[in-house]
Amino acid sequence: MRYLLISICFIFVGCASFPKKNNFVPIAATSNINNPYFANPNQDYIYKANIEVYDNAFGGIFIVKKIGDQQHRIVFTTEMGNKLFDFTFNKDAFTVNYILDDLNKKILINVLKKDFKVLITEHLIAEKSYVITNEIIKKTSLDNKTYYYFESPEISKIIRANSHKEKVRFLFSDLNDNIAQHIEIIHSNIKLKINLKSITK
Amino acid sequence: MHKLVYILFFTVFATHAQTQMSTQEAAALKTKVKALASTTQTISSDFIQYKHLDFLDNDIETSGKLAFQAPDLVKWEYLAPFKYSVLFKNETLFINDEGNKSNVDIGSNKMFKQLNKLIISSIKGDMFDENEFSITYFHTDQNSLVYFSPKDKKFAKYIQAFHITFNAKGDVIEVKMLEPSQDYTKIVFSNKVLNQTLDNAIFTN
Repeated sequence: MRYLLISICFIFVGCASFPKKNNFVPIAATSNINNPYFANPNQDYIYKANIEVYDNAFGGIFIVKKIGDQQHRIVFTTEMGNKLFDFTFNKDAFTVNYILDDLNKKILINVLKKDFKVLITEHLIAEKSYVITNEIIKKTSLDNKTYYYFESPEISKIIRANSHKEKVRFLFSDLNDNIAQHIEIIHSNIKLKINLKSITK
Repeated sequence: MHKLVYILFFTVFATHAQTQMSTQEAAALKTKVKALASTTQTISSDFIQYKHLDFLDNDIETSGKLAFQAPDLVKWEYLAPFKYSVLFKNETLFINDEGNKSNVDIGSNKMFKQLNKLIISSIKGDMFDENEFSITYFHTDQNSLVYFSPKDKKFAKYIQAFHITFNAKGDVIEVKMLEPSQDYTKIVFSNKVLNQTLDNAIFTN
């Protein structure tokens, strides 16, 4: 009987919601989310990128430009300038302008599309708000996925989670004049890590 | 009115600054470049690379050093704004990405083999292979400019044309690689030195 109780306890803890599991304390509604990191149309955003995917690592140049009100272009090239992929995001529309044949896999494109959309989406509605130590956490949805934005007060972290578990983590550091000098995207369900260091002038 | 005439004159002049070579001139350039390439044992040079993407306000500028030793050792080393080098040696591509070293076996990779061959021929300018490229020759102000357009359709999907600028000596001073989208990568060489003994340490990763 005691074991059963302990087991039930574990099941309950195991099933606790993502905010509860992480000791987020609910607070009254806050302002909505405003992500400034790729929002300036007069800025070319250029990053040196390192991508670790399973046991392969490769580098390149990651380029983002806001080209319209809700429109962004994202291009990845090798260091020597060869284009690997070229995407356009326009509100909810997504276009592959170019992708190297070797990378032209639907599953990869979907992962990248989902990750990059988080980077460039500027305005999101805070559905619930929480607090933990010095950070405000805002829960929101993007394309039917749940995200938690950590603000201190700049956005320092974004976590995509299902109801219980973290799936992807976005870390923003060396924040300077609305440019995140360092961005990391770390997946926990697949072995994928994207590391971006700004070389923007 | 005078001003207008001047403007018209200069516009016409500017558009005519690049004129197509006669067959004889083209043959002479080809001979000169091939002669220089065949006597080139080593090259060391600085370079600035400009990546032009139409939607950006500014080209992305990276710079570094190039070293070549006949027959097939090549090292491209980017020094700013990040440190990154690729070394082609013994059928292997050695990459040093800010201290993280890795390598790719080129022997088994047709694309890399082709790339290595192409890099060597483009830095020497010796790409005059009529089977592989459609070639067009131009004069510019003081230099010669040659367009090499790959005939292989699969290859042309990556690079529509190489535009190589040669100085009066027949040495390559600029390589521009044009993509089908019209975006391009332009590499401008400076402080180029030919046939100086290069330290073996350059060709280690």
